[in-house]
Amino acid sequence: MSVPTKKAASKPARKLPLKERYALLTRDLDWEPGYVDREQLFPHTRYEGIKIHDWDGWQDPFRLTVDAYYKYQVEKDKRLYAVLDGFAQSQGHLSLSDASYLNAIKLFIQGVTPLEYAAHRHFAYLARHLEGPAPRFAALCQSVDELRHCQTQIHTISNYNKYYGGFHSWSKMHDRVWYLSVPKSLFDDAMTAGPFEFLISISFSFEYLLTNLLFVPFMSGASFNGDMPTMSFGFSAQSDESRHMTLGLEAIKFLLEQDEGNVPIIQDWIDKWFWRAYRMSALVAGMMDYMLPKPVMSWREAFELYFEEQMLGGLFPDLEYYGIQPPRHVNDAIAEKDHLSHQVYKILHNFSFAAAFTTKTPDEAHMAWLAEQYPDSFDQVYRPVWEKHRKIEADGGRVFFQGLPQLCQVCQVPMAFTEPGNSAQISFRRSTFRDETFHTCSDGCQWIFEREPEKYVQAWLPVHQIYRGNCGGPTVPDVLAWYGIQEGDNGEYTGSPDQLAWAAWHSDGDDKAV
Amino acid sequence: MTVKALYDYEFPSADRAEVFGDDQLVYVHWRGNPLFCSAACFRVPKNMPFAEFVTSMLHGWAASDPDFDPASVTDWRLFDEQLSGGQDKSLADLGIGHKALLSFAA
Repeated sequence: MSVPTKKAASKPARKLPLKERYALLTRDLDWEPGYVDREQLFPHTRYEGIKIHDWDGWQDPFRLTVDAYYKYQVEKDKRLYAVLDGFAQSQGHLSLSDASYLNAIKLFIQGVTPLEYAAHRHFAYLARHLEGPAPRFAALCQSVDELRHCQTQIHTISNYNKYYGGFHSWSKMHDRVWYLSVPKSLFDDAMTAGPFEFLISISFSFEYLLTNLLFVPFMSGASFNGDMPTMSFGFSAQSDESRHMTLGLEAIKFLLEQDEGNVPIIQDWIDKWFWRAYRMSALVAGMMDYMLPKPVMSWREAFELYFEEQMLGGLFPDLEYYGIQPPRHVNDAIAEKDHLSHQVYKILHNFSFAAAFTTKTPDEAHMAWLAEQYPDSFDQVYRPVWEKHRKIEADGGRVFFQGLPQLCQVCQVPMAFTEPGNSAQISFRRSTFRDETFHTCSDGCQWIFEREPEKYVQAWLPVHQIYRGNCGGPTVPDVLAWYGIQEGDNGEYTGSPDQLAWAAWHSDGDDKAV
Repeated sequence: MTVKALYDYEFPSADRAEVFGDDQLVYVHWRGNPLFCSAACFRVPKNMPFAEFVTSMLHGWAASDPDFDPASVTDWRLFDEQLSGGQDKSLADLGIGHKALLSFAA
């Protein structure tokens, strides 16, 4: 009797159950080091004071393997790129709500997309340096996700670069321009911390606590204002984001369960990183309330829903079991929710001559919406100032801040925030370190500064750098040239190249421009 | 608390006084004028007389508000204290140091 060897060889291999495949492709690939000890192999997991007794205690809720991961991502990319092609071929940009909507997307590609790339880099570092195979693999997947997000955002938004200003030099701008030092310095702060602090800063505070406040407004804004590509990108990233949120939550629970001594360290990081990420989200607040021609919801409403209800009401009661309290200074954030967006847009409006987007004074209809959303602050505090702007503009003027602002040493936002409970008084905080004065914008930023002054004294503050002669020269045109800002990217929206082109493309009987 | 690191963590401050030589940074806040989002930052010689600082630096910035009247500038403060001393004195002589915060009303 002959043995049918050939037939047996062509028989497909037994398909393993998912759990077994996951085990073989992740944990089973790990090994105990033979010729170096663990401390040498993983030199960064001890100095922060976090104690891990059992790295296998890390549960990966997704049980994702490399082959499955790539299969999903290819499918999502195909769908996204089909939308991008259709939108580009049908001149979809002409069906946006208004050209001024794109100011929000300029802020996105300049401020957020480079953070995706930074996250990609640092999760790759975690994929090397965390000691357990499960968290290393989760970090590897997130690293690839972040790189993909960076690429798909560039591809999604590049179509607008053919027709509108402000989209051309975002990567250079991210490294140089004053308002972009806010997100850049936040990520630099996280990337120069240890691996565990990075997990709490980016995976937990950024991706879990505040992600809905940071990303949903851009994606819903896209949907409301006819920006199909950005909306599709948002959908395409959604399943990744939910995986990242789960990683953030898994990370904090794992660290808290490993050792009681970890709890105060984690609490400290939550206190710091909530405020850091919250201060950066101020830019999103200004965008939501002032830059969307068709607004989605107000900052106040989003803050109440996504933060107060979902996080303070939902997450923190769960974390109390581990001894974790809501973030220090959270009450200051709540106290200023009626004011934050107005104060931030004021900064952008004052300084858009030096920005790669344009701003405008809200018109009557927009102010009516703001008054409705902010019944306790808009008419009382902010309307009179905008009305003064409108009067000046009616006389042919336009107020820009003819100088440079004072910046907060920690968040790097111009010092425009007011005292909690007193919107007439700018909040100035002052610390002295090694006989030098340092200014911060709030109790939160001052607390962060005084916790690690040696770190924050090194801050690359754009205003001081200009005065040190490091930004192309002493005049505004010198600095703008060094920033990569071109004539027409910046300033007032009304009368800008974007606005004029938009008006020409939409004028009756004029089809030559399209 | 200090920074946790794997090595001696010791770096100079980016904007320490010596970096600016004979100059220094001074911040000026116009109290009660919400047309300006924040205080302004200036680089000025330490020996510049205060009156010259006001006319040569401050006036140009404050005129961003078309209602600004240079004659109405009053009630100067250095941080939280009343600024005392003559306007002909230099910033240094008035105790206005590197990264000091001045404010006025108008």
